[in-house]
Amino acid sequence: MSEPIVKYNNVTKYFDDLMVLDGIDFEIQPGEKVALVGPSGSGKTTFARLLMTLEEITDGTIEVAGDYLWHEKDENGDLKPASTDHLRKVRSNIGMVFQHFHLFPHMTVLENIIEAPVTVKGVDKKEAIKDGKEMLDKVGLLDKADNYPAQLSGGQKQRVAIARALVMKPKVLIFDEPTSALDPELIGEVLDVIKDIAEEGETSMLLITHEMDFAREVADRIAFFDAGKIVEDGPPSEILYHPKSPRLKEFLERFMSTQASPE
Amino acid sequence: MSFWELIASMLGQGLVITLLTTVLAAVLALVLGFVAGLMRLSKNKFIRFLVAIYVEVFRGTSLLVQLFWIYFVLPMFGITMTAMTAAVLAIGLNFGAYTSEVVRSGIQSVDKGQIEATIALNFTRVQRMRRIIIPQAFIIMLPNLGNQLIELFKSTSLVALITLTDLTYQANVLNATTLQTTQIFTALLVIYFVIAWPMTKGMKLLERKMTEGRM
Amino acid sequence: MWDWYYAFEVLPEIASALGVTIGATVVGFILALILGLIWTLLIRSKNKIVTTVADSIVKFIRNTPLLVQLYFIFYVFPQFGLSLDPFTAGVIGLGLHYSTYLSEVFRSGIESVGPGQWEVATALNFTTKKTWTRIILPQAIPPVLPVIGNYFITMFKETPLLSAITLVEILQTAQNIGAGTFRYTEPLTIVGLLFLLLSYPASIALRQLENRVTARYS
Ligand SMILES: Nc1ncnc2c1ncn2[C@@H]1O[C@H](COP(=O)(O)OP(=O)(O)OP(=O)(O)O)[C@@H](O)[C@H]1O
Ligand SMILES: [Mg+2]
Repeated sequence: MSEPIVKYNNVTKYFDDLMVLDGIDFEIQPGEKVALVGPSGSGKTTFARLLMTLEEITDGTIEVAGDYLWHEKDENGDLKPASTDHLRKVRSNIGMVFQHFHLFPHMTVLENIIEAPVTVKGVDKKEAIKDGKEMLDKVGLLDKADNYPAQLSGGQKQRVAIARALVMKPKVLIFDEPTSALDPELIGEVLDVIKDIAEEGETSMLLITHEMDFAREVADRIAFFDAGKIVEDGPPSEILYHPKSPRLKEFLERFMSTQASPE
Repeated sequence: MSFWELIASMLGQGLVITLLTTVLAAVLALVLGFVAGLMRLSKNKFIRFLVAIYVEVFRGTSLLVQLFWIYFVLPMFGITMTAMTAAVLAIGLNFGAYTSEVVRSGIQSVDKGQIEATIALNFTRVQRMRRIIIPQAFIIMLPNLGNQLIELFKSTSLVALITLTDLTYQANVLNATTLQTTQIFTALLVIYFVIAWPMTKGMKLLERKMTEGRM
Repeated sequence: MWDWYYAFEVLPEIASALGVTIGATVVGFILALILGLIWTLLIRSKNKIVTTVADSIVKFIRNTPLLVQLYFIFYVFPQFGLSLDPFTAGVIGLGLHYSTYLSEVFRSGIESVGPGQWEVATALNFTTKKTWTRIILPQAIPPVLPVIGNYFITMFKETPLLSAITLVEILQTAQNIGAGTFRYTEPLTIVGLLFLLLSYPASIALRQLENRVTARYS
């Protein structure tokens, strides 16, 4: 196997006195799609937000494309907290799609999409518009380019948010429950878009989801979180149909009983 | 003099001063308000403290007292200025203090998810403020800023008390010379209303235009 | 530059005028509360003419300067045989001006009481008067108390305007002293400090009230 694109080394996270992540080691390979599942409060979101630098790491290190994310080396080769510049450089490999979209409400759909390429990356505006429209076409919303987010349905908003993240060409894209704020009838269109991107293959994905069918279809690997630890980690066939740990069995049983069974 | 002659005389000599004072003081207040409002959100405690003093002093004392202080006391310290400068400075500083609070709370009321989105898209702090936070905060602030503009316009009548020849000053002069007290002060009220009322409406219109379809 | 001896000499005289300043604030504010409530009720009246007239008056007062209104009351009223002393004229001016702001506050308070409360009052067969005094106002007023308090402080800081119609409150007292000695620095600074000394603690107390009110009503 090649070098992992993301590597968690003994990562620990506390909120005040509450330990949320308990010394996690974890790797994502280039192009790999990993789904995170687990009970509510087990630390999935926190795990992903550390990678997006939305929460500060308490202990341990995260490496992205061979660089430390939260640290950099000083003259003596010792680790020190990363400077803003370093953080931004490494962070540019990561993108995220949020549960509640967080589109920019004061900008049209197209403006939302070209904003970061133009402002952050300094891409020429004409080129950004061309790329942006292509991306909008891909998520099936070219006709909404000049609408404001407030004029879109939840599913459309999330597709725009996905396009907005994709035009930055991240090496790793995080999805934190991208469909759980949506009305049931709108979930499908968003999942389809994510599947399409997954099939293109080049972007690594970290998918937090409660949609087990979807995880099975899209993910190369599923990691099961419980109480701040990754209890089991393996291909979907193993995790979903041959769970080893009692916690995962219990989780899946409870899950199957509330959901329509997959097969 | 007829009613219309009175109005013409007041307008002819005072309107420009009233409007000029309004515009200059409003610009100063807006600039000060944004600078102070942003500084109030600084990570640096000392900067926050300095701005808090400015804001509390100018909100805690009366505009007229500030006006007199700048016009009558500062010269004692060798700082002399024209009545116009003193007027713009006093009104600008006073309203700037109030505006800074509007700016601060406007910025704080922008959804926190917006900040997360800009981090995920790798914006710098400055880019985030300029492109995402301030434009949204501005829309939130607009109704308050509009109200302040009207209040500021009305407060320019105080400058007559430091002998700046605005509408109110001209009315007092006319009153002393013609003794047509009722007509003069009625006309003066009407003139202020005729300017302030469209301003109120204009701000409402602007608000509607800026939020249309977006928020 | 700054003469401490002189400052302490003039301080008692200026401070003694605080009585007039505070008196004008309190009386003006009571007037503003009463008039404000009247405007609100008139504007809510079912009679279209009453509503329009009351609304127009409020808009007119709100969109003209307090100083000019004070001149109007003090100089124009006597033309119609109604001569007022500076204190009375000032208090009427302040009260009238701020009543329009308070009316707006009352309106928002009343609108925050849900329609269900009116329906309950009807169902329980309350009279209109009882509905207002026992059901609506007791719910409408507490949430807006901080805003009302804020207007009290604002009004307090506006009282120096009354010096323009010759009321000898603290600013006028300071001016008079300054005119006699040609030293304005100390008297005017003292006036500023007095305002700060009184209004700053008041606004802090109000912020606490506001926190308590938001905790309780939202
Ligand atoms: N900002 C915060 N401050 C304090 N505690 C927090 C914070 N964010 C999360 N937590 C706590 O950390 C724990 C893990 O939360 P996290 O959101 O990572 O779980 P999750 O697995 O994503 O759950 P869910 O499936 O409900 O989204 C929870 O106990 C949560 O209450
Ligand atoms: Mg979560």
